[in-house]
Amino acid sequence: MTMNYILQQLVNGLALGSIYALLAIGLTMVYGILRLINFAHGDLMMLGAYVSSIFISATVVPILFAVMIPTLLMAVMGLIVERTAYKPLRGAPEVAMLITSLGVSRLIQNSTVLALSPQPRAFSLPGDLTKTMNVGGIRFTQLDVLTFALVIVLMVLLTLYINRSKTGMAMRASSENLQAARLIGINVNWAIGAAFVLGSALAGTAGFLWASRYGIIDPFMGFLPGVKAFVAAVIGGIGSIRGAVVGGVLLGVAEIGFVGFLPPEFSGYRDAFVFTLLLIVLLVRPNGLFGASEVERA
Amino acid sequence: MLEIRNLFVAYGKIVAVSKLSLTVNEGEIVTVVGSNGAGKTTTLRTVSGMLKPQSGEISFKGRSIVGLSPEAIVTRGISHSPEGRMVFGRLTITENLKLGAYNRKDAAGVKIDMERMFEMFPVLEQRKSQRAGTLSGGEQQMLAIARSLMSRPTLLLLDEPSLGLAPLLVEQIFDVVVELRNEGATILLVEQNANEALRISDRAYVLETGTVTVEGPSIELINNPQLRAAYLGLD
Repeated sequence: MTMNYILQQLVNGLALGSIYALLAIGLTMVYGILRLINFAHGDLMMLGAYVSSIFISATVVPILFAVMIPTLLMAVMGLIVERTAYKPLRGAPEVAMLITSLGVSRLIQNSTVLALSPQPRAFSLPGDLTKTMNVGGIRFTQLDVLTFALVIVLMVLLTLYINRSKTGMAMRASSENLQAARLIGINVNWAIGAAFVLGSALAGTAGFLWASRYGIIDPFMGFLPGVKAFVAAVIGGIGSIRGAVVGGVLLGVAEIGFVGFLPPEFSGYRDAFVFTLLLIVLLVRPNGLFGASEVERA
Repeated sequence: MLEIRNLFVAYGKIVAVSKLSLTVNEGEIVTVVGSNGAGKTTTLRTVSGMLKPQSGEISFKGRSIVGLSPEAIVTRGISHSPEGRMVFGRLTITENLKLGAYNRKDAAGVKIDMERMFEMFPVLEQRKSQRAGTLSGGEQQMLAIARSLMSRPTLLLLDEPSLGLAPLLVEQIFDVVVELRNEGATILLVEQNANEALRISDRAYVLETGTVTVEGPSIELINNPQLRAAYLGLD
C-alpha cells in the first residue's frame, strides 16, 4: 500500500465527508431546537438533486445555476415542510414529530416516483468538471475542488450568521432552552423557521454534490445519506454545528477507509460499519465529540 | 396595573390554580408565598403567556392579556425572570443581555440599558464575554434579573430569585429587588423564603392548593402569629 493510495483515499473520504457535513448541519440545528430527528432531510437532498439535473442537462446555462437554484428552492421547501407538517405539532410529544417526519419522507419519495418515475436517471456533469488532475500522484477532479471550496465557504458563512446575527443568537438560545427563549420574547417559530431554511438550503447544495459524485439519481437516494448524516451529527455531538462538520468529515473518511483498506468482500458492509461506529462512539462519549452535556443544557 | 380575576388553570385534569384573584398596583412589590405545588409558578407562567388559563381574566394596564403570545406580553411590558434562572449557559453574558432586549427596536436605548445593568451588577461587566454557564449560581441569578430588565418592563415577575443561594447572596438579591422598586419598578415576587420576601414587600398573598387563602399588607402577615405557624413555617 503506497502513501499515494492512502492520500487518495483521504481525498475521497474528505469529499464524501463534506457532503455528510452539509447534511448534518441541517439535522443538528433542527434537532437542537425541536429535538426532532428529521428523517425527511435526506429527501430534500434528493429533490435538490432532481432540480439540479434540469440545469445540468440544459447545456446553455452556467453550472452555477445547477448549484444555486436547488439550494434556494430547497430553502423554500424546507420552510413549507416545517410550517405544514411540524408546526401544527408544537407541544405534542416528540415521538409524534418523529413519526411525522418519516411520513413526510415517504410522501416526498413517493410523490417523486409518481410525478417522474422510479427509474434511476443519469446525472452527468459537463466534461471539464470531471476531468482528473494529477497532483503528486493523487488524482483530483475539478468537482473535488469545487466540493471542498463550496463546503468551506458555506460553513464560514453559516458560522458567521449563527454567531453574529440576531436571528443566529435567537437560534442558539432556543436550542439551549426553548422555554426561556419564549419567556424573554423570542419568536421561536422564527428561529425554528430559520433553522429549517438554512439547513434545507444546505441539503439542496448537497443534492448537487452527491449526484455529481455518483452520476445517478433516483427518488430513494436521499434516505440513507440522511440517516448517515444524522449519525455524523450524533458523533460530533448533536446540537453543535462544529460537531456536525467534524462528525461528517470523520464519518466520510472512516467509511471510505473501511472500503479502501479492507479486502473488497467487506465493502458491502459499509453501512453496517457506519452504524457500528455510532454505537462505539455513543458508548465511549455519549454526548458525542462536541456535545453539551444535559447538565449544561438544563 | 395587573389584575387577575377568578383565574383557573389546569394541566390536563390536574387543577393547579382555581378561583385565584390578585392585584398588583403600580410601584408595589407584591409577594406570593406558599408551599411547593401551591400554584405560584403556574400563576406567573399564565400571566406571561406560557400557559393558557381555562377561565378567568388577566388584565394589564386595563387591557386583557389572556391568549396573547409570550412575546406579545413582553412587548406590552411584562418581563418574567423564571424559576431556576434559565440563563443561556453556552451564550456569553453580553449575548444573554442582548437577547433580553430582543423585541426592542431602539438600539441606542438598549446600549444605555446594557451599561446600566453593568453598573448595577459589576460582576457581569467583568465577565461580559464569558459564557454564562461559567457564572456561579448567585451571578446567574443576577444575570437572569438583568436579562429580564433589558426589555424595559413596567412589571417584573420574579420567580424564586433566592432559590439555592447562600444566605449572603440571598441578601444581595433582595437588596437588588428593593433597589429596583426604589427606581420605580413594579414587582410581583414569588418566594419560598417567605420571611425575607415579606420584609421587603408591600402586600402579600398566601397561596394554598391553587387559591388565595390570606391576603393583606406584608407587615400584618409577618405579625400574624397564626399565619406564621400555619403558612410561613416561622415561629
